[in-house]
Amino acid sequence: MSAASGSQGWLHCRVGDFELRIDWAVEAGRTLVLFGPSGSGKTTALRGMAGLVRPVAGRVEIGGQIVYDSASPLWIPAHRRRVGYLTQQYHLFPHLNLARNIAYGMEPVRNKGASRRLDELLDTFQLRGLEERYPWELSGGQQQRAALARAIAAEPRLLLLDEPFSALDAGLRRALRQELRTTLERNPIPVVLVTHDREEALSLGDDVQVMENGRTVAQGTPVEILGQPGQATVARLVGVENLFRMRVESRHPRDGTMRLVGEGRLAGFALEAPLDGGPPAPGAEDRVTVGIRASDIILSLEEPAGTSARNRIPGSVVHVEPRPPGYTVELDCGVPLRCQVTGASLEEMEIRTGQRLWAVFKASSCFLVGGNAADHSPTGEAGENGGCPECETT
Amino acid sequence: MGGLAGAFYVAFIGLPIVALLARAAQQDDLWGAVTGDLALTALRLSLATSLISMAVVIAGGTPFAYLLARSDSWIARAVDGLVELPIVLPPVVAGVAMLMAFGRGGVIGGLLDNAGVQIPFTMTAVVFAQIFVAAPFYVRAAKLGFQSVARDYEDVSQTLGVSPMETFRRITLPLAAPAIITGLGLSWARAIAEFGATMMFAGNLMGETQTMPLAIMTAMETSRGLDSALALSALLLAVSVLALGTLTFASRRRWSGRL
Repeated sequence: MSAASGSQGWLHCRVGDFELRIDWAVEAGRTLVLFGPSGSGKTTALRGMAGLVRPVAGRVEIGGQIVYDSASPLWIPAHRRRVGYLTQQYHLFPHLNLARNIAYGMEPVRNKGASRRLDELLDTFQLRGLEERYPWELSGGQQQRAALARAIAAEPRLLLLDEPFSALDAGLRRALRQELRTTLERNPIPVVLVTHDREEALSLGDDVQVMENGRTVAQGTPVEILGQPGQATVARLVGVENLFRMRVESRHPRDGTMRLVGEGRLAGFALEAPLDGGPPAPGAEDRVTVGIRASDIILSLEEPAGTSARNRIPGSVVHVEPRPPGYTVELDCGVPLRCQVTGASLEEMEIRTGQRLWAVFKASSCFLVGGNAADHSPTGEAGENGGCPECETT
Repeated sequence: MGGLAGAFYVAFIGLPIVALLARAAQQDDLWGAVTGDLALTALRLSLATSLISMAVVIAGGTPFAYLLARSDSWIARAVDGLVELPIVLPPVVAGVAMLMAFGRGGVIGGLLDNAGVQIPFTMTAVVFAQIFVAAPFYVRAAKLGFQSVARDYEDVSQTLGVSPMETFRRITLPLAAPAIITGLGLSWARAIAEFGATMMFAGNLMGETQTMPLAIMTAMETSRGLDSALALSALLLAVSVLALGTLTFASRRRWSGRL
């Protein structure tokens, strides 16, 4: 937990027309997640910390040592910063076998201690028996482990991970994510991880910084930021599929809920959501923006009876599209409502276009979003969504 | 259609070579001609000058090619276009141009002359001519080779504590090696075949500037010349095929094409 073994600083980088301004602080043994769409400057931030790009200005501290300070000026080149950098495609050296790849940044392997360390790493990363293999003879998961082992072997004081799982399929991703967590626990160094995968951020991050256009737009714990993002911009970035601007019809302090109704095109659409801070000053608009995660909605073939869920809304299926690891079903409930189901459910319920279904979700699954949601269309991770019903009218 | 064209192509290239070898083999004293003074002197000169040229081309062309591959400044792009100019320049023109630069009345020829350095019509001129025409083949191939090595490999290497110079030696150079060796082969072949520029700039002095191609032409002009020319041609062909075969073998890598 000592600040001396962590990393902190700020950077101002310019790459072509793109500007990045970021500051960060991460303690040893903790993982800071930089979360955002591609082009938001996450990778540039990592490269700036590693010393692989020349920033315009900034200050970088790693393990208690200042490695860059534009005010001094001080610049320690990348190869003397002791920063581990894992790229998206791993970049294992194709002309070296696995053992030589891992030992690349170590002292000469002839040295007794080094060869023992190589042995340990091979065991830790389950790469025993593959020493002589070349990178293309390894599976995706093995390549990922080898690249991580190679980075750890050089005993970095800061580990930078650039979408370390993006090249892997979903099943492997989960398994390796667990492995990575174990590795990081065993090597208490500060970690900065770049991702646009919410699940990854939630499972690996201790802190999250949401980035857009080279700026940090929000920061906090993963649950705060990704569970119930407080701003519309952030909600859009982290992929909240359903965002509605609605009027508060009534508040029920005893239940801790309030009733929201839609207006205009949303008329006839009503929700129960958690109670907010109370009515606004007299004369101000009593409106809120509410977000609902597609994965928080349950689909039912009949009107569910005897359920505690406060929201039970009928609608007909507009379309179904694959969204790994499942499918997104869009219901027309007067407004488009996006719901996430598994492939198994899709088959079992025989969901097809035009079918009538009930969307069921708890009041507490609705979360209030700050800012003006109508300024932005809520987009999913790949930016494929466009379901904000108010976007066209406002 | 393609097969037929291919057959014609092979016949078109193959027939003259077969004819050359067959006709050379019919000679009474092929071995005598091949190991004769004329042949060996010219061969020795050709090998010596082309090896010196290649040493210079590698020493200067490698860092230059790397710079061209990695730099995206407009200067680098402009220079990039100039690099390949000698490939399209007729060698005779190159020879005249070199005379105008390094010759007695040339741009810096006078300066050199005052310093007691004479370049035209010396072995140095042979090397100059070869470098002029052959270097672009090497620089171009090496540049493409370096470009095929993703910068990320170099970046990762540096984060593993290896300095840029060491990274070049341990990562970039080995990964670009197949392309570099191929370029070296092409460049050497061009140097050993050099005729026009050498003729103009270095002349045709036996033992001094008379390389194999010049010796072949000279032999053709003498009385019993054809036999001698055939023997020299067969010898040059054999040496070239051997050298290129060796280079091709040397450039094979287990991981080729996996960058």
